[in-house]
Amino acid sequence: MPLTGRVLRWTGLAVVGVTVVLAVVLASRFGSDPGLVDSPLLGKPAPEFALEGLDGSDGATLSDLRGDIVVVNFFASWCLECRDEHDDLVAASESFADQDVKFVQVAYQEEPAESLDYLAEAGASDSTLYLADPGSRTAIAYGVFGIPETFFIDQDGTVVGKIIGEADALILGATIDSIRNGEQPGQQITGDTQQRPGA
Amino acid sequence: MSERARNIASVAVIAVLAVALILLTSTRPATVDRVEQIGTRIKCPVCQGESIANSPSQMAEDMMDLVSERVSAGVPDQQIIDELLSSYTGAVLLDPPASGNTLVLWLAPLVALALGIVVILWWRRHPGPGSADERPSPGKSRTRLVIGGVVLVLAFAGIVVVAANSLQDRPAAAAGAADIDQQDLSEVSNETLEAVIAANADDPQINGMRLALAERYFDESDYRSAFPHYLVVAEDRNSTDSEAITALVRLGWMAYDGNSEVDTATRLIDEALAIDPESHVALYVKARVLWCGAGEAEQAVETFQVLLADPSLAAGTRTQVEADLELASNGGECP
Repeated sequence: MPLTGRVLRWTGLAVVGVTVVLAVVLASRFGSDPGLVDSPLLGKPAPEFALEGLDGSDGATLSDLRGDIVVVNFFASWCLECRDEHDDLVAASESFADQDVKFVQVAYQEEPAESLDYLAEAGASDSTLYLADPGSRTAIAYGVFGIPETFFIDQDGTVVGKIIGEADALILGATIDSIRNGEQPGQQITGDTQQRPGA
Repeated sequence: MSERARNIASVAVIAVLAVALILLTSTRPATVDRVEQIGTRIKCPVCQGESIANSPSQMAEDMMDLVSERVSAGVPDQQIIDELLSSYTGAVLLDPPASGNTLVLWLAPLVALALGIVVILWWRRHPGPGSADERPSPGKSRTRLVIGGVVLVLAFAGIVVVAANSLQDRPAAAAGAADIDQQDLSEVSNETLEAVIAANADDPQINGMRLALAERYFDESDYRSAFPHYLVVAEDRNSTDSEAITALVRLGWMAYDGNSEVDTATRLIDEALAIDPESHVALYVKARVLWCGAGEAEQAVETFQVLLADPSLAAGTRTQVEADLELASNGGECP
């Protein structure tokens, strides 16, 4: 076979080969969900927040809660997974109420009145702080992709855990237990998260 | 036109097209303001491939407002982007950074362009076989065409398979009560167990965990915390016989030991014995309550003897019962 034919054939094969490899590499990332990457906040100081209560009360700042383990959950009435985990959050909050653990639930992209109606229907815990987040500033600071997402902040104010998706009482409690033992539980993915309908 | 001139013209056309393509995909109107410029670089985290400047979503609007605030405060562009990256990582950058793993995405088009130029130049300088004898026969050409087509189809099928397998499936929803009994409860705190039980109070499978928690409290002599859990297990129709007996016997013992209520204790233990008249734990605790609480040593001795008559009595329990029997038979004080 002439040299030119061989060169063309091998060049063609090389082009096809490189194309296939590149396509496979790119295709393998098509399904990757950016919401599933490890939060860059893990191991870092938790973003400060100063939020009003849903009922217009003074609310809380994160620094007020320093010294306790703080569980920050982003929720909304339109989020089905949030409804599924609600009873577990209430139960966990009340179970740890006398301990060094504080539960904070931040309404995500929802009017406070809507969140309050939802809590009136689903039941609220007296030991949980329910806060409003106008302009999603706190959600953005925590890198929320969808809800429910739950962050765990240790006594020193460092983000040490995150749950993406629905959390149940066992996962919540076990995560808190591990933080109390000085461990860093990291990120857990338990299920789907949701965007605001129409977003 | 000479061959050399044609080559130069070919390369020039490709280069112009490449530059035009790069300019079309990278330049932005000079008139857009800084907020818009930054917004077009940030990917809306709740959208599919849209920038926050172009997405109508609430999250994108909120992020644009934040960018606008930061710009008004005189914060440099890169610092604003870095602030968002500190929360979201590079997942919010529309243009991947020209470094690390994503560098290949920037270099690939340039490499492909260079390869294309080389191939074209080679082709121009080495035209194909001159004579018909050197050309492959039409039959061979068709075969090669078919083989080439099959290879391409297989290659793309492979891509589809790899892509499908690479999709990051989120795990199923959070564990329910069905998974609770599979956990190593020794590593779970009382507060966690309380929370799980409260959240799954209507689930019949929760009784095992409820009993385990009650037993923890019982072992710590925390009868106040143990009582409500034993009561639920004792009254729940879904409890197994074993669970109900354990709960009734513990309630009985706590009634005697905590409140000195011997009659209540005896009644509760008799309820357990009604479920299983040969229950070792119920018989033993009943004997202890009779002996220690009611001062009925003779009845206690009879009950100890009934227990010892059972060959299935565990060796450790048998030793304890024999010691108690000897002491009670000799009129000794309940230890």
